[in-house]
This record gives sequence, C-alpha cells and structure tokens, in this order.
Amino acid sequence: MARMKFYCDAERCIECNGCVTACKNVNEVPWGVNRRRVVTIRDGEPGERSLSVACMHCSDAPCAAVCPVDCFYTTDDGLVLHDKDICIGCGYCFYACPFGAPQFPADGAFATRGKMDKCTFCAGGPLEDNSAEEFRKYGANRLAEGKLPLCAEMCATKALLAGDADIVADIYRKRIINRGASVLNRGVSYQNATLRSPSGLSGRATSKE
Amino acid sequence: MRSMEETRWSPAATNCFHLFWILLLAASTFLVIPGGLARAEGVEIPNPGADLWREVRQRDATPVPVPAPTTGIDLWREVRQRNAAAIPAGTTQVSGTDSAELINALGDQWRRFRMEQLVPYGGYVLGGMVLFVALFYFIRGRVPIHAGVSNKVLFRYSVYERMIHWFIASIFLFQAITGIFLLFGRDFLIPVIGHGAFSLLASASKEGHNLFGPLFLLALALIFVRFVRRNIYEKGDLTWLLRGGGVIGKKHVPSNFFNMGEKSMFWLLVFAGGTLVVSGLILIFPNFGQGRALMGLSHAAHGITAIVMTAVIIGHIYIGSIGMEGALEGMKTGYCDLNWAREHHDWWAQRCENEDKILSRDQVGRAGVHSPEPAAGQVVEESGK
Repeated sequence: MARMKFYCDAERCIECNGCVTACKNVNEVPWGVNRRRVVTIRDGEPGERSLSVACMHCSDAPCAAVCPVDCFYTTDDGLVLHDKDICIGCGYCFYACPFGAPQFPADGAFATRGKMDKCTFCAGGPLEDNSAEEFRKYGANRLAEGKLPLCAEMCATKALLAGDADIVADIYRKRIINRGASVLNRGVSYQNATLRSPSGLSGRATSKE
Repeated sequence: MRSMEETRWSPAATNCFHLFWILLLAASTFLVIPGGLARAEGVEIPNPGADLWREVRQRDATPVPVPAPTTGIDLWREVRQRNAAAIPAGTTQVSGTDSAELINALGDQWRRFRMEQLVPYGGYVLGGMVLFVALFYFIRGRVPIHAGVSNKVLFRYSVYERMIHWFIASIFLFQAITGIFLLFGRDFLIPVIGHGAFSLLASASKEGHNLFGPLFLLALALIFVRFVRRNIYEKGDLTWLLRGGGVIGKKHVPSNFFNMGEKSMFWLLVFAGGTLVVSGLILIFPNFGQGRALMGLSHAAHGITAIVMTAVIIGHIYIGSIGMEGALEGMKTGYCDLNWAREHHDWWAQRCENEDKILSRDQVGRAGVHSPEPAAGQVVEESGK
C-alpha cells in the first residue's frame, strides 16, 4: 500500500502562499483556521528559506498519543486523520504537535475551542466518501477521486511534493543529485545550482549507482 | 583648389591625430583599471557552497572546509528541536498562535511528560493512596473515642464555616473526578464504554472542569480568610509531627483547635490550590493568545499539583469520615463530642471548659439534627479564636 507523504523543498519554495490559498479554497475551512501555512526563516537575511508546513502525517503521531479521547486513526495510506464526532477540543494535540498543525475554529474563554481541524491530505474523514456531511466537517476528499492534495498540485515551483513516499523521495533524490552534479561540474554554489541543469555530464541521475 | 589642398590634413597627419587620441584613451584606461580592479576585489561576495566544492574538486580538503554556521544543514539542525533556544525566529502570513514557529521544540517534551510520567506515576500515586488508606483501615481500624460518646458537646464550626467547607469540598471533588476522567479515561474507560460514550463523558467533564474551575478561586479565598488565623503554626506542633499525630504509640498528642496535620493540610491547600488556580486560568483562557510553551508548562504544574492534592484529600476524606469516630460530626452538625475534643484537641477543649462553653446534647437538640427549632443556648459565635 502506498504511504502518503508531503515534502517541501526549501531550495524551491518562493513563499507565494499559493498552497495556503489552494487549501483554504478546496476545503472551505472556517475563517481563522489555516491547515497549511508558509513559514520563512531568516526573512530578509542571507540564507533565507521558506517552507510550507501542514500536518506531516507522522508515523508515530504525538497528537494521537496525547489525545484524551483517542480520536485519531491512521489510514492504510499512512494518513493521520481524526474523528470530529469524538474530538472534545481540549487542545492537547496542539501542545504536542511539532509542526503546529492542529487548528481550532475558536479560542474563547473557558477554553471553548470547538472541534480541532487539521490537514487531511485532502482525504476527508471517517464519514462516507465525498458525502455532504464529510465535506462540511473535513473538507474535500480528493484522494477518493484519485487526486492528490491541491496544495501540492497547485505549487508553481513544484517545491511542495505530495504523494506516495517512494515517488516523492525519488523525485527529491534526483533533484539533490542534479544540484550536486551542477556544483561539481560548474563550480557554482549549491544555491545557484538549484535551477540549472548540469552540462557536460552524461548518464542519468537515478538512485542506482 | 590650391588653398583647399593646403588647408586639408594630409592622411598621415590624420592618422597621427587618431593615434594620439587612441593612445590618450588607452593611457587613461590603464590608469583607471588597476584602481577599479582593486575596488572590485574589495567587494566580498559570500559563496560558501562554491568555495566548499572548489576545495573538494582540488582534492586539497585539508583542513576540512566548514560551511558557514547558519546556512545549509546547520540551519535545519537549529530549526529542528535539538536546541530550542537556537531556533531562528520565522515569519508567516498566517496569523495565529505560534504560527511563525516552524518547529515546536517543547511539544515532544510535553508529550513525554504527560504520557510517560504524569499518567503512569499519577495513577500509581492515586491508586497507592487508596490502597494505603484501605490497608490502614483494615490494620489499624477506626480510631474510636476511647472515653465513649458523651452527653456533652462543644460548638466547633458555624453555619458559614460549614458552608464554605462543603462549597470548596464539592468543587474539589467535581474537579478531581472530571480531571481523573480526562487523565485516565482513555486507558480505563474507553475499553469499557467505547469511544462514543466516553467522548460524551469527556466533553462534559472538560466543559464542567473549565466552567467550575474559576469558582475554586472564590472558595479558596473564602476558606483562607476564614481559617487562616487558626492555622498559624505554634508551639507544640513540632511535637505532634514527631509523634506522627498519635499514630506512633498509643498516647494522644495535645493540640489546639487545629492540630499540626490539619494546619499542614490547610497550607498545602492554599499553596497547591493557588498553583492549581493560576495554572488553570492560564489554560482555560486561550483568548489572550498565550503560546504552547506556557500552556504546556501550566498543564504540567496543574497535573502534578492536582495529583498531590487529590492524594492528600483522599487521606483527609478518610480521616474525616470512616477513619475516626466523631470527626465528621463537627463539620456535619457544627458540634463535636466533648470526649472527642479532649482526645484530639485537648488544649482547645480545656480552654472551652475553662470558659464554660460546654453544652449538653439536650441543649442543642442532639446537635441540632433532630430538633426542628433552634435549640436554646445555641451559640453562633466563632469558636476557638
């Protein structure tokens, strides 16, 4: 079975926030909830990098570990999803998550946060696929339609990759080899090598030696 | 035409003239370029990656070139949770609590605290306390009034004092039970009642815990103001402690209105309760935008304090109910048995006797329980001050 993963390539992300917009649009998430966000490190300084962050669908998810009502489950595709009918909105998953993925529609007094909302990898929730109820609670279920998450599909620079972990890893590995080859062959910096193809090299850049 | 011939430059002269200008231009260029080159060389263009690979290609990689400290892999090492203090601050277009933080470094510490320490050790402490109390009851049995129940009583707690006691007691019990559901329910209740029913119970527990929590602050303040004067430590308390409050040996240890154990309970309630209230208020008001780090820390303080306090209260409930004959009477009816007072608070009992405050059970109508009308001589003034 495929194991779904996100990967964001910091050498390619240009902080356009297209993924954020695509996510909000396709899932129609409530105002104030951002399932995906772009974080920029060292903004305006040399070495600035941006990364698009959402739920990373951990193999051993901290949110699922700390949930007092055990509302998380892992699908056959390796996605960490949750049941909003079980969730009590305590906020523990938000404390535990390394990526700040869990979001709450409210932050009212007496900790009235509402049901937790997070990235579903565009795979909906435990309800019937693509039902109105599922869309209302969890947003789009593109996976059931054979499509990948819209954030990655919309990414202009193909910085954000989503899909089968093997394929994502293979694409990323090719990019790394490409960059390394450019650096070795032309003597340009790693940063400049990102968008150039190597010249004077023959053969294919694959995982095989 | 001759004049034209004469005034016209010869081709050789024209060439000489052009050459002169070219030489002048070249000379000026040679004068300017070295300065320009020097200036251009002065401008440093950082390119650590290229330098690294250049050295790798030249195979003179000794010493091993070290990339700039905050780029490349080192940047990501800092961003990851290896060193929380070194994480560079991020920016984001999304407005939300801690949104600009790429990696929540304390999250995993908090998860490990809750799942590997608070839940198991908290369970051991509470379960151990219940077990200890049960063992104590079956081994030592109920502490009786050795002189037997007398016909005389002493006025101990006013209506107001009993009211605030049961006020804070009911809030504490509710908070403890709902808190125990939230902390241990996943392990013990979900296997029994299932996810759906437990979700309902946990949701009600969470809302109730958050809504009634702030009332504990009010109850704690009322208790503190009313009882603080009688709970200041005094001479004799150390003796009480050293003799284990009478548990060690058969002899009773003299004490005043409150003994050393009760005073310690009071001060623990004040400080632990204060910690519970402060950390709880931080947790239930996310609308002030406090971050995950503070809330995780508050949760840890809240959890530890609540476990300790609940364990102590289990002991308090035991000794105040089935553990000791005559102990509940004072907090139930307001009057305590004279013999009970002599055996547990004899300095106070002695003072009451000296001040002639001893009442008979008939006077207070079986301590106000069986008599519908207020008994004659029922004093409502505070006792023991």
